[in-house]
Amino acid sequence: MLSKSQARLFFAVATGGFSFVFLGLTVDTVMQVPERSHSENITEEVIHGKELWESNNCMGCHTLLGEGAYYAPELTKVVDRRGAEWMRIFLRDPQAMFPGQRKMVQYDFTEDEISALIAFFDWNGKIDTNGFPAEHDLAPPAPVVVAATSGADAMATAPAMVATVCMACHAVGGNGGNIGPAFEGVGNRYTEDELDRWLADPASVKPGTAMPNLGLADDVRGDLVEWLMTLD
Amino acid sequence: MKFRTQRISWLFFATCMLLLCLQIVYGFIMGFAHMGYDVLHDYIPFNTARATHTNVLVVWLLCGFMGAAYYIVPEESGRELWSPKLAVVQWASLLLVAVTAVIGFHFNWWEGRKFLEIPRPLDYLVVINVLSFVLNIGMTTFTGKRYTTTGMVLLVGLVSAALLYLPGMIWFDSQVMDSYFRWWVVHLWVEGVWELIMGAIMSYLLIKLTGVDREVIEKWLYIIVGLTFVSGILGTGHHYYWIGAPEYWLIVGGVFSALEPLAFLGMALYGVTMARRGGRKHPNKIAMYWTVGCGIMSFVGAGFLGFAHTLPSVNIYTHGTLVTAMHGHLAFWGAYAMIVLAIISYAMPQMTGRKFFDTWVPEWAFWISNIGMLSMTCAFAVAGVTQVYLERRVGMDFLEVQAAVAVHFTALVLAASLFTLGILLFIYDFIRYGFPSDEAVEGAAEPEAAAAK
Repeated sequence: MLSKSQARLFFAVATGGFSFVFLGLTVDTVMQVPERSHSENITEEVIHGKELWESNNCMGCHTLLGEGAYYAPELTKVVDRRGAEWMRIFLRDPQAMFPGQRKMVQYDFTEDEISALIAFFDWNGKIDTNGFPAEHDLAPPAPVVVAATSGADAMATAPAMVATVCMACHAVGGNGGNIGPAFEGVGNRYTEDELDRWLADPASVKPGTAMPNLGLADDVRGDLVEWLMTLD
Repeated sequence: MKFRTQRISWLFFATCMLLLCLQIVYGFIMGFAHMGYDVLHDYIPFNTARATHTNVLVVWLLCGFMGAAYYIVPEESGRELWSPKLAVVQWASLLLVAVTAVIGFHFNWWEGRKFLEIPRPLDYLVVINVLSFVLNIGMTTFTGKRYTTTGMVLLVGLVSAALLYLPGMIWFDSQVMDSYFRWWVVHLWVEGVWELIMGAIMSYLLIKLTGVDREVIEKWLYIIVGLTFVSGILGTGHHYYWIGAPEYWLIVGGVFSALEPLAFLGMALYGVTMARRGGRKHPNKIAMYWTVGCGIMSFVGAGFLGFAHTLPSVNIYTHGTLVTAMHGHLAFWGAYAMIVLAIISYAMPQMTGRKFFDTWVPEWAFWISNIGMLSMTCAFAVAGVTQVYLERRVGMDFLEVQAAVAVHFTALVLAASLFTLGILLFIYDFIRYGFPSDEAVEGAAEPEAAAAK
């Protein structure tokens, strides 16, 4: 039967040996990470974003690379999923985007800070993560939209923010979100003035609405209304 | 209690009880927030509650380990503590740092890196604090009358834990490197050197409680902590699957973390076998419950539930979901909370000289808290697995899925209430024992102590 000194030897050899292997793999990892994560793209802005990420403990609710808390969405591929435009509006006033739902702290970030955060997420999204997050392998197949042609036409003339911001909640030609109503026919239902008033301050038209105040400049709002009026 | 200065551990144990209460309060705040009642959002947002919940856990477990060391090391080395004054100062400063950190969390003052949230200036204070603790314990050991394996394993565990805190303090511009070395602290603590501390405390308790020969118990201690390092060191790889580290970590991490349950199975068998072999019926059977329970629950929580989502093909879906919370709760409870409660249950009668072994209170505290924690684990499991399927596999929106699993947090809060009841009974028992007494010194003659004379 094993003696105490043999047991001690086992402990010492196992600990020493595996520590050595671990250190070797660490050296190799440190050498490979710059290429896998495109470390040449870590700009001052990305670093500032990381500082903001840490100094506000974003990991206390969100996960990044799957690490953090489980109260708010995974953010590794958030720039792919939402687009920079959407994130900018969201970060100005997080609760406006999801009224009545789970709350995020209003951090009152400056525009530069928001740019830094987006740059930080964008850099993270391009890391080679060995396939994380995984494809949705049980997702139902996307529905075939019959009337896609008119939607496709409509999209050709749409301002850029329609695809990046509006369609997170609204659909055009069967594509987009289902939180707000689809855009088809909106030009028949409302006048130009009504749409303008609505976009300027949704809550004043319909208190308690889920539609956020996007804080659009007058000319941006004008372009958007003009395009919406073409959807009949 | 053989030495007067062992009583210093009472300060640490009492701090454990206080911080455990605080941890539970913040746990409830998060449970209610998940149910949709985030009424405290403006004062205690979720990230504050979360940082408090986990950091207070780490501090009270460390407090428990320190208390255990101040109790065990004098006895194992056969002398009074090197400097009781330093120990008291160290206790007070640790408490001060912890309180400052928790208050800071409520004013957005932190370093938001999971489990290492305390702000950088306080990190330096923690380092000084832990160094003074290690100095005190080290001097006691090296100027002592004897070296024992249990004492040495405990010391090595504590010193390594102090050293491994340092990689977590390096700044990296890259999130990948930041994460890589953050796990040197977090993983190599909880699945490495903390297990040395746990194993040593368990070994001490088994020697005291079962009467099995010290040589036999300490031989198996070596085997178990050896197994811990065989699996645990390279098992760090399971944190490196998806953070941008090379692909070989999928294989290295997968294989070695699949071995991690073996070390915990070893702990469980260690406790159960020694308890059966022991000829002596120690009157403090509640300390025995916690000791053997710790071995078993650490296998279930850390070993089995860890294995359940450690393989890369599973982990790619479960990584960063409530499944992790399921494993985390039972693992920390089984492996570390229970060993601290075990040493407290053993030391309190020794320190105070009061022998309330046979009342219903500590026994119910044991069963109710364990049943409560197991139920909480089940609630997390149902919520977590549902989240994995709906969000990660079907691709539903995050908030829709959270609304769908909110009902399981009602179950969680109910289970947590049961758990809390158990903990309150434990604390009631702790208070009933009162303060350590000089009359208890050498009053409790252990058979082993008698044999040593």
